[in-house]
Amino acid sequence: MYKKLCCTLWVILSAFFVGQLNAQNTLSFDKYHNNSEVQQILKQLQQSNPSRTQLHTLATSPGGEPVTVLEIGKNSGNGPAIFVGANFEGNVPLATEGALRLAKMLLDSAQYTAKQKWYILPLPNPDAAKGYFSGAKYERSVNDFALNNDMDEATNEDGFEDLNGDGLITQMRVKDLTGTYLVSKNDPRIMVRAEAKKNERGEYKIYTEGTDNDSDGEYNEDGEGGINIGISFPHLFPKTKNEAGLWPGQSPETYGIMKFIYDRPNIAMIHTLGSSNFCLYPPKGGRKGDANLESIKVPARIAAQFGVDPNQTFTMNEIIELMKSRVPAGVEVTPALVTSYLGLGAAVNPLDDDLKFYTKFSDDYKKYLKSKNFSIETPDAAADKDGSFELWAYYHLGVPSFSMNLFSVPKIKEEKKGDKSISSEEVENTKKPAKPENGEGLSDREKSLMAYSDKTLSGKGFVNWQKFKHPTLGEVEIGGFVPYLETTPEAEKIDSLLQVQLPWLLQLSKKLPEIGLADQKITDLGAGVYRIELYIENKGYLPYPISIGERNKQPAPVVLIIDGDVEILEGLKRTPVGPIGGNQVKKLEWLVRTDKKPTISVKLESAVFGSAVKQIKIGG
Amino acid sequence: MKRTILFFQLVLVAIFGFAADKGKIEVPLRFDRYYTYEEVTEALNALHKAYPELTRLEVLGKSEEGRDIYALTINNPKTGAELSKPGVYVDGNIHGNEVQAGEVCLYYANMLLTKYGENDKITKAVDKNAHYIIPVVNVDGRYHFFADGHTPSSSRSIRVPVDDDKDGLFDEDAPDDLDGDGSITQMRIKDPFGQYKADPEDKRVLVRIKPGEQGEYTLLGSEGIDNDGDGRLNEDAEGYLDPNRNWGYDWRPPYVQNGAGNFPLSGVGLKAISDYISARPNIIIGFAFHNSGGMWLRVPSEKSIVIDPTDIAAYDVIGKEAIKITPGYVYMPSYDLYATYGDFDSHLYYLHGAFSFVGELFQREQETYRENITKPATTGETTGSPMRGANPELSREQLKFNDNVVQGEQYKEWKSYKHPVYGEIELGGWVKMSSRLPHPFMLPELVHRNASVVFLAAENTPEISMEVFDKKEIGKNLYQVRVRLQNKKGLPSMTANAVKTKIHQPDMLKVSGGKVIAGGKLTDNRLNKVDFKDKKPEIQFLAVPSYGVVEYQFLIEGKGEVTINYESLKAKNTSASVKL
Repeated sequence: MYKKLCCTLWVILSAFFVGQLNAQNTLSFDKYHNNSEVQQILKQLQQSNPSRTQLHTLATSPGGEPVTVLEIGKNSGNGPAIFVGANFEGNVPLATEGALRLAKMLLDSAQYTAKQKWYILPLPNPDAAKGYFSGAKYERSVNDFALNNDMDEATNEDGFEDLNGDGLITQMRVKDLTGTYLVSKNDPRIMVRAEAKKNERGEYKIYTEGTDNDSDGEYNEDGEGGINIGISFPHLFPKTKNEAGLWPGQSPETYGIMKFIYDRPNIAMIHTLGSSNFCLYPPKGGRKGDANLESIKVPARIAAQFGVDPNQTFTMNEIIELMKSRVPAGVEVTPALVTSYLGLGAAVNPLDDDLKFYTKFSDDYKKYLKSKNFSIETPDAAADKDGSFELWAYYHLGVPSFSMNLFSVPKIKEEKKGDKSISSEEVENTKKPAKPENGEGLSDREKSLMAYSDKTLSGKGFVNWQKFKHPTLGEVEIGGFVPYLETTPEAEKIDSLLQVQLPWLLQLSKKLPEIGLADQKITDLGAGVYRIELYIENKGYLPYPISIGERNKQPAPVVLIIDGDVEILEGLKRTPVGPIGGNQVKKLEWLVRTDKKPTISVKLESAVFGSAVKQIKIGG
Repeated sequence: MKRTILFFQLVLVAIFGFAADKGKIEVPLRFDRYYTYEEVTEALNALHKAYPELTRLEVLGKSEEGRDIYALTINNPKTGAELSKPGVYVDGNIHGNEVQAGEVCLYYANMLLTKYGENDKITKAVDKNAHYIIPVVNVDGRYHFFADGHTPSSSRSIRVPVDDDKDGLFDEDAPDDLDGDGSITQMRIKDPFGQYKADPEDKRVLVRIKPGEQGEYTLLGSEGIDNDGDGRLNEDAEGYLDPNRNWGYDWRPPYVQNGAGNFPLSGVGLKAISDYISARPNIIIGFAFHNSGGMWLRVPSEKSIVIDPTDIAAYDVIGKEAIKITPGYVYMPSYDLYATYGDFDSHLYYLHGAFSFVGELFQREQETYRENITKPATTGETTGSPMRGANPELSREQLKFNDNVVQGEQYKEWKSYKHPVYGEIELGGWVKMSSRLPHPFMLPELVHRNASVVFLAAENTPEISMEVFDKKEIGKNLYQVRVRLQNKKGLPSMTANAVKTKIHQPDMLKVSGGKVIAGGKLTDNRLNKVDFKDKKPEIQFLAVPSYGVVEYQFLIEGKGEVTINYESLKAKNTSASVKL
């Protein structure tokens, strides 16, 4: 009750203030905002731009927090839309700031919303985001969904404790005969795995900071929550991880986001702010399990029906021909139908044609960053995760999906590599997993983190090991890297980081396909018969749909509709235009007959690009 | 045009076929008839009204078109709260056209309630279990199946518009009930160059011509027109979103599996049912009824998945009896039919730890017309029309069955019709209440036999008893206490898969009243072999297998009464105590 009252008061008060303040001008990026502040900012942005914006509540998290999207450009007509989601794992507060900053950029200028709509989702995992703002800070990525992680008799009974009271959850090291860790010879702050082969023997065990609240011998194995929204989407859903939930979309945040997006077929591009970076590094391939559609084997059971050899391989076109004679009249045999019928499975690697534009944009982005003196000499961005939003956007929605991680600690320089601008092949090659640490060397990641802590943060990125009397482990030492070190720079850096990188997303929005009627040609063939040729152009850089969209058939079709006082002899009244490449023109033809000289209307219709109508005179 | 047809159809349905003159809906319910969606609702209300103490009727959610989805719970509160008992879940009609599945569910409820107190076995099952019955999952599909013109196989989808033909329009070109008789039958046109001719023995049957033979007919497909003018007929009907491909376990997107829906549980009614099931972790067995073919299907739905052999053994306890209760059915893993992803029974088994069966009701081979029925009928097409010419013998027998056993109610004789595109054609063939649906005279046996399988499963839900079978003082105030848990039934207290994948809380033994110094599973009570649990010996995690026994040993320090509680999500809790 009290809570409700406060809430109401807050709303009234804020409404009062908003009248006088221009939220865009007062909105500053010198701190990280928690969800109630984020919600407040969204409300203010909406209220100060009522004609251009609208708020949508997608879901309420298990912890009772709203998940909200700000629509910008609600008056922009029926053009394509761009969806921006940030911080799905809840542990990258900078990404949330990025989404808010982007909203501000979009509202400050009318340039990017003239023809396009934007949907901004700054915080899809608000429960997890509480971790950064909690008194005992730990990198939390799960929501408040009641999950019994250790499947014992109680739920959420064994979380972390800030034993040394420094407001941070770090690590505990304890001398143990059966330990597998050693103090590094290079830097005594860092713990490394002992390697028996190198004649080393472990001396320490490492735990996260806390006590064994449920006395089961495990430390901090069943804390608050929950489901990690950032790995709970259906593409490559990691079903063996219990933080993914039992099925994709089990948690209301994920379900609400998927529903919101599918309810808006005009969404034609998706950006994710978080931990991967598709702008810099094209999405990776190399996963096993992709069907080779040019070398298909027909499963034995179906091969018998088809009367073909199950060991023979076919191309997709050959299979389509085989199937055509075997489906009921009216059923169109498409690659999608074939992949489904033969059980060829899903695409799991980015398609070649799509990698072309990813690579091109990545090279352009590097040039752009170089021109802004922005260093990309950092450890690589995190890999895209199975079940992530950005992978789902590409593989299931079939739209260009870009991502940015906005911050990485500077990479420690070993040897000079010559030119600093790396080509994308080189980047791909360096994307190997970090070498496992051992007693002699440290991983590049740890070296870079330590250097960053020492040089940039004057040591504040690392808690030096301090003795502590632990209730069950006895004498321990508490210390280690501070949580959020890798993803979350000091607050005063936020604005400059965002100001350099975010405009690239605005640039990318200009690459969207733009489809229209370029020209027409009417030829009188005599006896009242005419040939109509219509030229459809894509003025944008990107094709429509991109290759994965062609495969998954998810992007809405573009259809040409002919209407008028003519008899169509060849062609259809409604003609799907089909895929159309970037900067390409496609010709469609009809043969019609008429005794009059009518004006017919030609309408280009699509759920993505809206509709355009042209009147064409026949026989004029 | 469509509207006029609809109007005619409504008039006709009211005066035609099984829909007419079925009498009042009262308990006990009748099963020599089919119930429309509204009548199912009425029947459920009648059951609830007749047995208010034993039942709860609730609307668990709404469908895409806003219809109520009902769940009837049968539970005797005098024998314990619902969630404390093993839950038996049964649903039907997830595919809107598979209507007799709803009747099986209604029959199961009717049987439990009307025979409670009269039949000992039934009384026991009502007292022992919580029974969750959702007769109609796809309420819109069932509604439309009765209300509109359909084939025996259409109205299967849930009502989520899908642009099947990718022309930017949604569900714009369904078949049309041209003659307004409530059924979508077939269209044929006289054509000397056609590939079919009338079977000389029964002119209604079309057979493929032999090479060089003169043709008589061309088949034009299902009754309909080209509503969207794209040169194709009936290519974008309702949906298609297959409600049995839209569940969460191993869901695959629509380009991998047609009809999957855009994301798991995107169907709002299905989502509501999923929430309903999630709130009932006591469900240990589930049945989903479909038609047709006569099958009991179990997991896995995909060949590469390996099921724990002890779970298969537990499935077999039901499955191997089921095929005798329903003669002619086969019992097999569902992948033997075809691989599916995101199906309901996998969702139930893998994510909720319940044994799940699909019951594919009805075999058309039972529509016999011959003297000797000891031999199984020739298997052939069980659905659709007999006009493909694949098995004219079977088609002739089916037509004779129609003529002389069901007085012509299942087949529409060919009649001429003036088609807007094709001109003079003929309409005719099997009506919607045929092929996959038994004639109502055969329905009572079907619902009873299939409900008996559900009943057998309910009887086999775990019944765990516990006894302290040994107590020994082994030191000062230190006792060795041994308990035995026995399951007298064929279903374990947890699936082996749930134990392995940790999807829900395991069963527990909790000792209170004394200090447990050590405790663990007794693997051999004669040789004193114990797997002592390292930490917290007073709580042990376990599962009690099918017809199995598990034993635990505790070393307890103390005096007086010590209680050992067995707690289970799915089996009923029990306890035992011992005096030290």
